[in-house]
Amino acid sequence: MKLGEIIRFEAGYQGRRAPVWLFFAGVPGLTFWLATEAYVAKARSGGFFFNAPFNVAELTLVGSVMGLLVATALAGDAAARDVRTRMHPLVYTSPAGKAAYLGGRFLAAFALTALILSAVPLALLLAALRPGIEAGLVGPFRASTYLGPYLSIALPNAFVATALLFSLAALTRRATASYLGAVLLLTASILAWTLVAGKLGRWELAKVIDPLGMTVLAEMARAWTAAEKNTRVIGLQGPLVINRLVWIGVALGALAVTHLRFRFAHHAAGGRRRPGARRDARAAGGDAAAAAPPVRVARTRARRTFGAATHARQTGSVAAESFRAIVTSWGGGALALLTVLIVLSGPVWFEHMGVPMVPTTGRMIGFLGGTGELVWMVIPLLTAFYAGELVWRERDAGLGEIAAAAPAPDWVPLAGKLLGLGMVLATLQALVMAAAMLVQARLGYHRFEVGVYARVLLGIRLADYLLFAVLAVVVHAVVNQKHVAHAVVVIAYATMAFGPALGIGDGLLVYGSDPGWGYSDLSGFGAYAGPWLWFKLYWAAWALLLAVAARLLWVRGTENGPAARLRLARGRLTRRTAAGAAAAAGLVLCLGGFVFYNTHVLNPDRAAPASPERRAEYERRYGRYRGVPQPRVTAARLRVEIHPARGSAEIRGTYQMVNDGAVPIDSIHVLPNGEVELGAIGFDRPARRVLDDRALGYRIYALERPLRPGDTLRLGFTVRHAPRGFPERGIDASVVANGTHFGSEWLPAVGYQAERELSGAGDRRAHRLPPRPALPAPDDAAARWNGTGAERIALDAVVGTDAGQTAVAPGRLLRAWTEHGRRYFHYATDAPIRNEYAFFSAAYAVREGVWIDTAAKRGRTVAIQVFHHPGHAWNVEGMVRSARASLASYSRRFGPYPQGQIRLVEYPDPGISLHGAPIDISYQEGFSLFDPRADPREIDFPFAVVAHEVAHQWWGNQLTPARAEGGAVLSETLAWYSALGVVEETYGPEHLARLLAMMREAYLQPHARGAVPLLRGNDWLLAYRKGPFVMYALREYAGDARVNAALRRLFQRHAAGRPPLPTSLDLYRELRAATPDSLHPLLHDLLEANTYWELETRTVRAQPAAGGAWRVTLDVHARKIVVDTTGVETEIPMDDAVEIGVFGDAVRGAPGAPLYRRMHRVRSGDQRITVTVRGKPARAGIDPRTLLIDDVPGDNVAEVTPGEAAPGARPGPRH
Amino acid sequence: MDLQIRDLSKTYPNGVRALDDVTLTIPRGMFGLLGPNGAGKSTLMRTLATLQEPDSGSARLGDIDVLREKDRVRQTLGYLPQEFGVYPHVSAERLLEHFAVLKGITGRRARREVVDGLLRQTNLHDVRRKKLGGFSGGMRQRFGVAVALLGEPRLVIVDEPTAGLDPAERVRFLNLLSDLGENSVVILSTHIVEDVSELCTRMAIIDRGRILLEAEPLASIAALRGRIWRRVVARGELPAVEAAHAVISTRLLAGRTVVHVHAQSHPGAGFDSVEPDLEDVYFTTMAGLHAADAAPLPEVAR
Repeated sequence: MKLGEIIRFEAGYQGRRAPVWLFFAGVPGLTFWLATEAYVAKARSGGFFFNAPFNVAELTLVGSVMGLLVATALAGDAAARDVRTRMHPLVYTSPAGKAAYLGGRFLAAFALTALILSAVPLALLLAALRPGIEAGLVGPFRASTYLGPYLSIALPNAFVATALLFSLAALTRRATASYLGAVLLLTASILAWTLVAGKLGRWELAKVIDPLGMTVLAEMARAWTAAEKNTRVIGLQGPLVINRLVWIGVALGALAVTHLRFRFAHHAAGGRRRPGARRDARAAGGDAAAAAPPVRVARTRARRTFGAATHARQTGSVAAESFRAIVTSWGGGALALLTVLIVLSGPVWFEHMGVPMVPTTGRMIGFLGGTGELVWMVIPLLTAFYAGELVWRERDAGLGEIAAAAPAPDWVPLAGKLLGLGMVLATLQALVMAAAMLVQARLGYHRFEVGVYARVLLGIRLADYLLFAVLAVVVHAVVNQKHVAHAVVVIAYATMAFGPALGIGDGLLVYGSDPGWGYSDLSGFGAYAGPWLWFKLYWAAWALLLAVAARLLWVRGTENGPAARLRLARGRLTRRTAAGAAAAAGLVLCLGGFVFYNTHVLNPDRAAPASPERRAEYERRYGRYRGVPQPRVTAARLRVEIHPARGSAEIRGTYQMVNDGAVPIDSIHVLPNGEVELGAIGFDRPARRVLDDRALGYRIYALERPLRPGDTLRLGFTVRHAPRGFPERGIDASVVANGTHFGSEWLPAVGYQAERELSGAGDRRAHRLPPRPALPAPDDAAARWNGTGAERIALDAVVGTDAGQTAVAPGRLLRAWTEHGRRYFHYATDAPIRNEYAFFSAAYAVREGVWIDTAAKRGRTVAIQVFHHPGHAWNVEGMVRSARASLASYSRRFGPYPQGQIRLVEYPDPGISLHGAPIDISYQEGFSLFDPRADPREIDFPFAVVAHEVAHQWWGNQLTPARAEGGAVLSETLAWYSALGVVEETYGPEHLARLLAMMREAYLQPHARGAVPLLRGNDWLLAYRKGPFVMYALREYAGDARVNAALRRLFQRHAAGRPPLPTSLDLYRELRAATPDSLHPLLHDLLEANTYWELETRTVRAQPAAGGAWRVTLDVHARKIVVDTTGVETEIPMDDAVEIGVFGDAVRGAPGAPLYRRMHRVRSGDQRITVTVRGKPARAGIDPRTLLIDDVPGDNVAEVTPGEAAPGARPGPRH
Repeated sequence: MDLQIRDLSKTYPNGVRALDDVTLTIPRGMFGLLGPNGAGKSTLMRTLATLQEPDSGSARLGDIDVLREKDRVRQTLGYLPQEFGVYPHVSAERLLEHFAVLKGITGRRARREVVDGLLRQTNLHDVRRKKLGGFSGGMRQRFGVAVALLGEPRLVIVDEPTAGLDPAERVRFLNLLSDLGENSVVILSTHIVEDVSELCTRMAIIDRGRILLEAEPLASIAALRGRIWRRVVARGELPAVEAAHAVISTRLLAGRTVVHVHAQSHPGAGFDSVEPDLEDVYFTTMAGLHAADAAPLPEVAR
């Protein structure tokens, strides 16, 4: 058969080519490497097996993404080789037929790709079987673990990619079109995952439109428990099947179109000519030529020169030609279009939970300049593509020999092409800049900071792109085999982009790397600029060296064998070239030496104090001191000297300590912080250092006379922070020219610190530490009696900083003065605070307010201050308002606020988080950018968040939970619940409902249903979302007064911060005490079990009844299930009070007014509920406010179906 | 100024000996390099055009060492390879300007004039704004000449330029080339004998990497005068004739075979004396007979 012969020939032809063999070795090899480098740690921290089906599936997906390279090379070549080699007239005129020709070529390419990808599961199997992997990380082996992902992910992806890329190459008759296609496929997949699903929350859509299935796996990663990841085989899950069917359909469609459109016909080059142009050309040139006598043209004697100026002009001409070639190609247009589209989608990327943010330039470049956003991969990938096209441009066009014979030095084409590519990248960045400002203007923001854009886009980003462009061009020039070079470049890119994140490679060894950078309105590029520049100069020297290598090995003429090229290279190694190479090598050595000196000598193992090895060793060596009685710090007196301009700080201080235990203490354990230098330690009584472990950070001082119970002791210390040079990554930006912030964790700690131990189960196992839960259970007595972190101190701090800045510390500002050109601020706390605080220094603007406690006897006042960047004043008034309302609300509901001031302090960080330390609540710059006035939903989100942080002055800073499971419920859940009350009191119940609806969106995103009960909850979803919903539901079931009474009692009992510290069980006990017995089952379901209600209103019918009333009949379905931590679901019988609501017509988009809202008893299964309402109903449903935990709240309420109730069932009340 | 080639040898990795001790002196003017396919013509051309490295030997153009001082050669070189393509999406004028810069014509006005002049000379002026992708084979070939002529090269290397051109284009093309010989060394490699006889003042015949003959076409024709005989034979007679005589070429004419025979004297009945032409020189040389009676250069006689 012809088809068979075409497949056989094609497979045999491809199978003998070197690239195919390289892929055969490379794809599984890289998968193996990546699996062992990165995914072992991932499995360890994720709590599942390395050979868990889910882990294998993820790695198979990674392998199949690498397989795109294979599909690109094979499909492109199979589809367009005949045209390139000019074999096509012979092939096209053979009687094989279009279907056999295309089908055979496609099937051969697909079969080879599938075959190469089949090595991926084998590589993964080997990775799991390899010796040296810790036993606890390997689960049972099952064939389906490997077969499932291969059949459901790798194989369909290979088919889809091969089909689409083959079609693209066949229809354009250019093999390289397949490379562009692959880049677009990958970009589409990443956009579906990160933009459509991640940012827009449209997971259902994203799972379908993602051609590679990344989104489907991303959803599983979030929704599956570790146990499910270990056991569930990836294969025929619903979303995956739908996605695969859709894309296989698309692929078949593409093949059909190819079959239809492909012509066995000669294809004139330059498909974009207007029809008839060719005939014109012939008429003008060809025919006239025959008859016309030779035209004698007076020769112009053009002056020709061959100096440096000419070489510059030649380089410029090559650059212009290269630039023109790229920008006029459709790939160049696609790149520009895609880039602009990504930028224009910008607002989506930096809003948070739908709350708009002020599009400041700092915010824009956080998105545009960040390497973290995967979508920007498209630029390097297309750079790689065009690097190949440019290097091969003359040869591909058949102009290679003519161009090679032109009198330009060897380096001119190389330099010209690099320059041309650089011009394209610079233009693209300029385009990005313009689009970004367009976005700002469209959003009504007009402070264009062109200089900042230029520095980020035309400086930092362009430098990275250019370094990469040099690498890509050099690889193409040296490798001299397009597909292999593309593979090398793409792998190099992946290593450069993801290597550092995966912990692969030293910074000095990963081309183009840098120690990271950040931009902040407050501190600019701060401490990052210098180190960044040194790294880039170092890499620029490498780039120069690479360019010299490329110049030596540049293929010019027809000699392209390795031996001949080496011989030519020796000839090209003129004295000047050698000098250039030597200079570049010298620069590499000098700059590399300097960087090495900084990153390895001045900052050896910079992150080491926190490295798992040291933490494990710390526990092994000093764990025996856990629980050894130590004195408690009661006061700290500090002298803090901040030198923002120098980037250093020094703290001299004394701790006042007391032995509040029952036994004498004969030795003091002092634990320095690894990030700073701890100087000499002094005591107010004779003591002798008996241990000083500098590596692990442990000192023991033996007291000559033991400290008797009740005795006090003073400890004096000096702490210095003076970064020397710069580290390889993780530059310390604590003390910067403007926007200094550091915390009390720099100060020495007293006593063994249990939280410095490794806590992850996998980490502990890997470092052979005995297993223990990450946190003790809430009923753990030892945890309750451990007062570490809850102790209260009186703080007295004098903080000095440079003139022009304000230093902030907790407490009352007693005095501020200037001395020796420096500003000094003396703070002292009115009442003891929890021993956790921070210092700030910047050129702040201050917004002030006051809250007068009218309930207090003498009208006590609390000063409210917001220290903020002068340009970030959008929300400060709202913050003051929120703080005032919160102070009033919480003082009334829970108990007094003991301090005379509360502050919000901004510090440089692009994030949006806040931290509610005692008195001084710090917030990251991003938080100041929220623009609630632009929120169409009318939700004052920053107001609620500030209320939440102020609530931490009660929940956290006064009532301090024990370090145990469920601790976050006491702090975060109660802080949110408190804040919800403030929102309601300030803005009304409608606003609160909108805020709750926004918070509930977290439940519409993929999340694991299997989880611990709320009482043991510590993660974000439980503490920040489920917890507040549960508390709100309790309030609706039991009433505001009862819940507040329970919280007030809890608060009063534990506000002093003395052991035993409270746990979630104390909260549970108070809630049970405050609520009637009838609600105890509900309390159990909400707090003590992981319960889900599946409530659905199937139909609602309404009939007019006597007296203008309406009889409303709801057919509802109800189910209650409990999901354990492994994800196993158990249905339990339901007989609960559930709210039934009936609503009138919606007015102006607002939900209709409630006509009826009352609790009904609802059992498991289908049932009918009939109620009578006054007024015409429009919608009705069960649990319309989603008080109960329901993953699908959208079906709780239904529109009224006009007409009679269903026949056969006599409506009747069934409460 | 002439081009001196001494003992040039090149063996490809697959064992083919493409150049075998080639020694040639090429003066100013048109020089034809004649030889069958695979004779080593293109290897010699590419070597002279700085695109390939010989294993041994030397070549000098005036005071330029062609093999070592590549940059100097390229500054005065015009090269039209046997096969070449163009950027399809670029206009003729634009690409020619680009090459003009590459050839060192950096002054904007001078470049305009040169490009304009060359486009007129190659009769491409009317289509200078058209994309090269739409050019016919002859137009593309003339464009290649325009590129080769940029910068008034003193060494012009033209590799099989007329293969694939229709007769009219070929005439047009040869006219273009004939202008060049006045000031430059022009090497025209071809397997078409007429190209050489119409254009060249000197020529060499090369086969399997060896120069078989280096001569002036007219002189070499003259040297054969009276030694070429022609006979029309029936198909069946051919083996007998070949066995008896030094047949240098056979050609079909209306179904019968015309045989050319080389002989010092009348070879016998049925043979007519013919006026030799360059083709006879070529075939005589290829048959190894020309050297026997007329060897103007000692090198060939080995």
